[in-house]
Order: sequence, then C-alpha cells, then structure tokens
Amino acid sequence: MNPILSVKGISVQFGALKAVQDVSFEAQPGKITAVIGPNGAGKSSLFNLISGAIRPSSGSVRFDGEDVTGRAPHQLLRYGLSRSFQITNLFFELPVRENLRLAAQFLEQGRGLFRPLARSQTAAARVDELLGQFDLRNKADELAGYLSHGEQRRLEIAVSLASRPRMLLLDEPTQGMSHGDTRETESLIRGLSHNHGLSILLVEHDVDLVMQLSDFVVVMHQGQKLAEGTPAQVRANPAVQAAYFGEKL
Amino acid sequence: MSTPASSSTIGPRGGALATASSERPRRSAATWLAILFFAGALLFGGIALALGDVFYLRLATEALIFGGLALSVDLLLGRVGLLPLGQALFFGLGAYVSALVLKNWSDSFWLALGVTLAFSAVAGLIGGLIAIRAKGVYFALISFGLAQVLSKVVYNTRELGASDGIIGVPSANIMWGVNSATPSGFFLVVLAFIGALYLVLRYLMDTPVGRQLDAIRTNEHRVSFLGEDPWRYKLGAFVAAACIAGCSGALYPMLRGFVSPELMFFQVSGNAVINVIVGGTGTLIGPLYGSAILTGLRSVVGSFTTHHHIVIGVLFVLVVILMPRGLIGYATPALQRWLDARRNQKENR
Repeated sequence: MNPILSVKGISVQFGALKAVQDVSFEAQPGKITAVIGPNGAGKSSLFNLISGAIRPSSGSVRFDGEDVTGRAPHQLLRYGLSRSFQITNLFFELPVRENLRLAAQFLEQGRGLFRPLARSQTAAARVDELLGQFDLRNKADELAGYLSHGEQRRLEIAVSLASRPRMLLLDEPTQGMSHGDTRETESLIRGLSHNHGLSILLVEHDVDLVMQLSDFVVVMHQGQKLAEGTPAQVRANPAVQAAYFGEKL
Repeated sequence: MSTPASSSTIGPRGGALATASSERPRRSAATWLAILFFAGALLFGGIALALGDVFYLRLATEALIFGGLALSVDLLLGRVGLLPLGQALFFGLGAYVSALVLKNWSDSFWLALGVTLAFSAVAGLIGGLIAIRAKGVYFALISFGLAQVLSKVVYNTRELGASDGIIGVPSANIMWGVNSATPSGFFLVVLAFIGALYLVLRYLMDTPVGRQLDAIRTNEHRVSFLGEDPWRYKLGAFVAAACIAGCSGALYPMLRGFVSPELMFFQVSGNAVINVIVGGTGTLIGPLYGSAILTGLRSVVGSFTTHHHIVIGVLFVLVVILMPRGLIGYATPALQRWLDARRNQKENR
C-alpha cells in the first residue's frame, strides 16, 4: 500500500538550534501513527513542519503522492490534511456551533461567499452531525470559552474534523485531561480510524496511550529519529529504553 | 436534552430564534435600533424642512457623512479587530478627488462618486498591502503614519491649494433636478446613501465572508488551519473600508463647497474612532448614533465655548468606563431582553 504521508530527510534550524535533523518516516492510510519522545525531542517542531506552520530548511513532505513541502496550512487542507492543537486553539468568543460552522464552511467552497448563511446547508448538516458525534449538542449555543477543559479538547478535535479531512494530525490530544477523559478520547480516536478510515498522525506525551492506540510508532530523540516500528518493536528497542532513562515502556 | 428551538437562551448576537407559530417576522433589538435611527433622521429632516432651517439640516448631513467614515472604522475595528488611526486618509482622498472632478470635469454627482470609488479602491489596495502585514499597535501606527504622509503631501502641494485646500467647489447634480445645494434634498440623498451602506454591511455580516472576519478577530491563527487565507479577507476588508470612507468623503465638498488638508488630519481619524467606540464597536448602527450625537454635541457645545474638546473628552472617558461596549452595545441586549420578556408574556397568555 502506498503511504498517505511520507516525510523525507526533513530538517529545521532555529538559529544554532537544530530542532529537527534529517527525519524520515511514512504513515499508512487508515492507520494510527504516533510520534513520541522526551521533552525537547523535536516532536512539536516536526509536527509544525508537516502541518505547514513552519517551513523546513531542507527535506520534503509528500501527501498522497503530491509534494506539499512548505505549503501554507490553508492549502494543505485542500489536499485533505487537517490538524488540531495541543494548546486549545478555538474561537473562544464565539459559540460552539459557530466554531464548527466556520470549520465546516470549507465543505461549501466555491459556492459563493456572499450568500446568506442559511443557504449553507451542507455546512449546517455537518455541524449538526459533529455536535452529535462529539456530544456537544446541549452546549451548542454556549461560547467556546465557557466550556470545560475536556469539552474544549473535544471541540478542538471536532473543529479539525469538520472539513472531512483524509488525514488528521493530532497534537497531544489528551494534554491536561483527566484519566476518564483520556480514556474517552482514546476510544474516540480509535473509532475515527477504525470506523471512518481516517489516517491519524499523533504526537503524544502519554506513552501508555500511544502504545495501546498506535499501529506504528516513531521515536524522536534530540531532534533525530531514534527508532520506529510497531509498539512491540519500539518497546523492545534498547536505544529507546535508554533515551527514556528507565521510564517503563 | 434541550433542543435549540425550545431553549430560551439568547445567542451572543441577541438573535431571536423565530418559532414557526409566529405570523409576523420578529425583529431583533438591533433592527429596532436601526429603524429608530433612520426614522428619527427622516422625522428630523421633515421638521427642519417645515421650519425652513438650513444650519441644522446641513449639520445633520455632515453627521451622516462622518457616520459613513465611522462605518468604515467599525468594519475594521469591530469586525476584523484592526484599529485604524488613519482612516481620514481615505476620507480626505475621496473629498479631494470628488472636489477636483466637480470643479474641473463635470458637476455630475455620479461621476464624482464613481471616480472617487476607483481612486479609493486603488489607494485601499496599496495602503492595505502595506498596513495589514502588521497587527495590533503596529497596524494602528502604520495606518496613522500613512495618513500623516499623505496629509503633509497635500498640505505642501500648491496645485491642490496647499494649506488653503480647494474652495468654490460647485454643487453636484444628482437627478431629477435634485442638487447638493438643496439642504433637504441632499440630506435625503446622504441618508439614503448611508442607509444603503448600513444595509449592505449588515447583510454581509451574516454571510460566510462576514463571519470569516469575526473569526479572524477572535483567532486569526486558527483561520488558516480551517482552509482560508486570512490575509485575503483582511485585505478585502481594508479595501472595502477605504471605499466606504472615500465615498463618504466624496459627499463632503458637495455639502460644504470646499476641501482642506485638515480632512486628512488625525483629528478626523481620531473623531471617527471615538464615534465608533461611543456608539458601540461592532454594532454598525452604533457608529451612526455615535457620529450623530457627537457631531451634534461638538457643534452645539462649540457654539457656547471653544473648549468643547473637554466636554467630548469627558464624555468619551465616561462612556468607556461605564459602558465599555458603547451606547448601542449597551442598549441592544437590554432592549432584546425586554422584547423577549414581552413576547413570552404574550405567548403565555
């Protein structure tokens, strides 16, 4: 099977700091691929490189066979690549429904930006679907800023999914969540992959979560790729164990 | 589980959720306040005409013209979240272009407006390309700087009358013998123009474009991850605001018969921002109320004392402290609550 995402020799440098050095990996369609690593390993930088938030110094990113290196985020979404944020990045002063509508408007592209909103029925239907899927129906008219942390995290993922992307990049989806919320998010992500065939790339701090959830794991250490493989292979890798300084994998 | 239709919560825009049982369309508080403004203006015009007044009719026309400038500021400040401290650049540019067309080419209202629109769009595009690269304070300062530069250029250009400006601008012919020299006729024309601007802007705010501007104001960074390039929307809004300010400015020489470099000075830009904030940022009708009230106050207080800036200044401070959302930003939700309560009473009976 052809990989949906293929990263080749990607590097980025901030001044003297080589945040990401010559990293290559592939993600398979319909699978959950995870990037893990200790603090400062370059996970977030790698993530920002793939999602278009920063431009790589060298290397390439291919999405479904097309070269998308250095493309702006709004262009990447046209290819079907969407991302969520580690620090919840919503429209806090707008209602939940409007947050989702803004994201779902992508589905109405080219149908006229100057029509009344009531005519955007495809977007409205998508918003309704997401409100149900993410259990936000009774919060629909509240401002996003007034939601609880767990609800905001759910909304964050819902917003990233509104455009019906083919691949979703999740940046620490369970960051700051309670144990129960983490379990819920875990089953949500699994459901997206198994039931909807969505390809997922996630960066995660929670090693346990990654090992249970992922089909394929890439381990980063000091800006470089340390190891990759199935969770079992990675767990058995002595270099990985050393990098985590005895942290139980 | 509460469904949106049965819940009594009011959306943040105060939008009343119309139920199928109602026969008349229900007007929101914002609509009532807009109706009040334009009906009040018509009533004022009628009374002034009946009394044979010219001074107050011309003053009201001027207030409406500055209301157009305030609308352009509200589009940028209230929607996109950009504070323009140099919007007078486009207002003054429009006034000069219109004055030159009327004086040198033709006394046609429509030609003056059309040429001004073209000039404003080009100037807006150039200014926008420079200014919207920056955000926050930097945007405000760049827009301020651009206006300073142009006003100094005009101030020092003899061909444009330098510090005297252009005087003796002939009145503009509008249609059916209506002329900008007729106080009541021109008042109605300007009122219709501002009313049309208001309606178009209000319509746009409930389209994908308008909502995208709201999204940019609340979280520009995220917008690009939702598949839209915020830069294009900001540039579009900046050009639109330049056109609105320019066309409003084009009406000024038709009313007063002259233009001067002062029209581009910070005083004019600053007053427009104050009109918007006192009236209610982001409400569209608020800036029109703000312009009407403050232009009136400046003139009336100014006829008693030359220190009218003190009065306006104190009023501004009081409004910002007591009603940070401005007069209309304060009145709209209050009126909406009253309307909702009254409707619930009727339905329960």
